[in-house]
Amino acid sequence: MATDPKPKRPLGLGAYVLVLVGVGLVGGLAGGLQGLTEGLPAPYGVVANFAVMAVAMAIGLAACVWWWRGIDEAAREAHKWAWWWGGSGGMAVGGMLLLTLTLNENAAPSAAELGLSAAELLAGGMWIILMFQLAGYAVAWAAWWLKHR
Amino acid sequence: MNNRLKVLRAERDWSQADLAERLGVSRQTVNALETGRYDPSLPLAFRISRVFAQPIEAIFIDE
Repeated sequence: MATDPKPKRPLGLGAYVLVLVGVGLVGGLAGGLQGLTEGLPAPYGVVANFAVMAVAMAIGLAACVWWWRGIDEAAREAHKWAWWWGGSGGMAVGGMLLLTLTLNENAAPSAAELGLSAAELLAGGMWIILMFQLAGYAVAWAAWWLKHR
Repeated sequence: MNNRLKVLRAERDWSQADLAERLGVSRQTVNALETGRYDPSLPLAFRISRVFAQPIEAIFIDE
């Protein structure tokens, strides 16, 4: 029977926090750079913003790949299960809220009353759904580990 | 799926952390395996088999 080389120790909570903090720092840096480039004349400002975001997202994804390869299979299963069930459940709850607000004219103030642009409204809706997804994900992840203790 | 992981580990006087280190997984994963609440992948099942020097079917019981 073949023998394994000494297996690597899987990444723990410290690595998870490190990735979160690192991605947060990159996001903050990207936000700062956006502030510098947004004053540029079109189309340079748009191109510069897109480039900054693309680089920040690529760094974030690379950090996630590094972390994903380092965790063990049960940890991966917990995250997959949580993202599917918790993320989908959170999206459903957030979707109900947003659809209720958008399908009923009197349920919320109009865009003009809020003084928001179309882009800001779009981004706001996207962030709200993302927050619901992340909340559902966090609850489902904790539930998975509690169930599998 | 039931398994004999806890017995095999106790026979060797290993802690969950010891077994986790030998398998390259976290202690929480070993705990989830021992309680039968998580079934390992085939590669991990083979690693377990090698660590205990026993065939997979002698460790895991399909009930």
